[in-house]
Amino acid sequence: MPEISGNRTIFTLLEVLTGIKTVLTEHLSETFWIKAEMTRLHFYPQSGHCYPELVEKRSGKIIAQIKANLWKDDYLRIDQKFRQVLKEPLREGISILMQAKISFDPVYGLALRILDIDPSYSLGELEREKRETIEKLRKEGIFDANKRMKFPLLPQRIAIISVETSKGYADFIKVIDQNPWGYRFFHMLFPALLQGERAVETILGQLSRIRSVVQHFDVVTLIRGGGGEVGLSCYNDYGLTRAIALFPLPVLTGIGHATNETVTEMIAHRNAITPTELADFLIQQFHNCAVPLNDSQKKITDQTRRLILADRQKLMHITKYFRSVAMHMISRNRISLEIQSEGIIKQPIQLIHNSTTALTNIIKSVSILSPANVLKRGYSITYLNGKSIRAIGNLATGDQVETIISDGTFSSTVQKISKQKPYE
Amino acid sequence: MNKGPTYTEAFNELQQIVSDMEQGDITVDELTEKIKRAIQLIKICRTKLSTVEEDVQKILRELESHES
Repeated sequence: MPEISGNRTIFTLLEVLTGIKTVLTEHLSETFWIKAEMTRLHFYPQSGHCYPELVEKRSGKIIAQIKANLWKDDYLRIDQKFRQVLKEPLREGISILMQAKISFDPVYGLALRILDIDPSYSLGELEREKRETIEKLRKEGIFDANKRMKFPLLPQRIAIISVETSKGYADFIKVIDQNPWGYRFFHMLFPALLQGERAVETILGQLSRIRSVVQHFDVVTLIRGGGGEVGLSCYNDYGLTRAIALFPLPVLTGIGHATNETVTEMIAHRNAITPTELADFLIQQFHNCAVPLNDSQKKITDQTRRLILADRQKLMHITKYFRSVAMHMISRNRISLEIQSEGIIKQPIQLIHNSTTALTNIIKSVSILSPANVLKRGYSITYLNGKSIRAIGNLATGDQVETIISDGTFSSTVQKISKQKPYE
Repeated sequence: MNKGPTYTEAFNELQQIVSDMEQGDITVDELTEKIKRAIQLIKICRTKLSTVEEDVQKILRELESHES
């Protein structure tokens, strides 16, 4: 009870705060649905209670904030629901829609007591964040930037971002190190947290370290595994996905979960469902190199054999052709020689024969043309002053002429001259 | 550190020889030389599949020099 001192009524602190508590419980005892951003969860593992910090921001500035209590049983139930619906634990840094009531404690002060949180609201928020990340990357034209990078022919030197003790890392290393084909990989671990709140920060840190020694590597792999399917919303973070999209090496992911593909997996040069599948993919690249190598060797052997065979056949063919041509030429020359030698023997005889015939003909013609024979056929020759007359113009009337025939001569006087040609 | 052709260079040269042979652009006179070169290239490629020359310690030293 307040104590009276003079004209003053003096309350103890407890009395005042108990009074506040009474007012609040009387007038604000009902529960509300409130949306806010949970900036801190403040989970105390020993008690199992959480003391979240809730804020509302406008244009980045805090315009309202309050502490909250989330008792162990409520926390466990809500966290369970989150893991089922969001594939995320209840964590700080997300927007939540909670059912709460005002609580006031004289020692701990004013707080919201969280009774329930609706995971589907947070899911919607996460989905919205994811969509925003995708849209931003697309708008900047870098959504496909890492995919567009030329993949090395031999992805031999691998920078691995993972957790050394994780099953995914162990699986990956085992497959690439113990491949039965003797392919050698070089790999180096850049340890980072791969899920939860600190994942973005540690992965970004390792990406920047890799970037400073980038010439020693062909690809970057982001490997997780064995961590369950919760805490993956970090892979939708804009800053992280942007860094991966713009990374100067192809980034390959083997984050190893089956549900909703994260933005990181969408923009990675290649996404494998599991670390083992990723390792198999890298080995396949080596196969892709080794197979054409064997093919080349086989082709070279075959082609050499074929080339030599073809040349040998060509040579044989030429030899055969040459022989046939040579034989033909010899035979043709032999025949021509024979013909010619025959000619050499025959020709003089023919020549003599021809000459004899010609001579006989000449003798015949000559004898036919002899004057005695001509005269015998009735022709005569008339002379004037001892010369044979060949033109009528040489004669004049009264000329004494002498005519010979085959068996005698006679003389006569020209009485009349006619210049009429007898055979016209 | 890395002398001679890269895997890609060696592989491309090898492919060129094979394609020349297939198209009959190589005469018997050149054959011996080409085959010698092809065998050499295949050996280079095979070796590259089974060896790496990176050194973790060296990379770590480089990282330290970047981070200090």
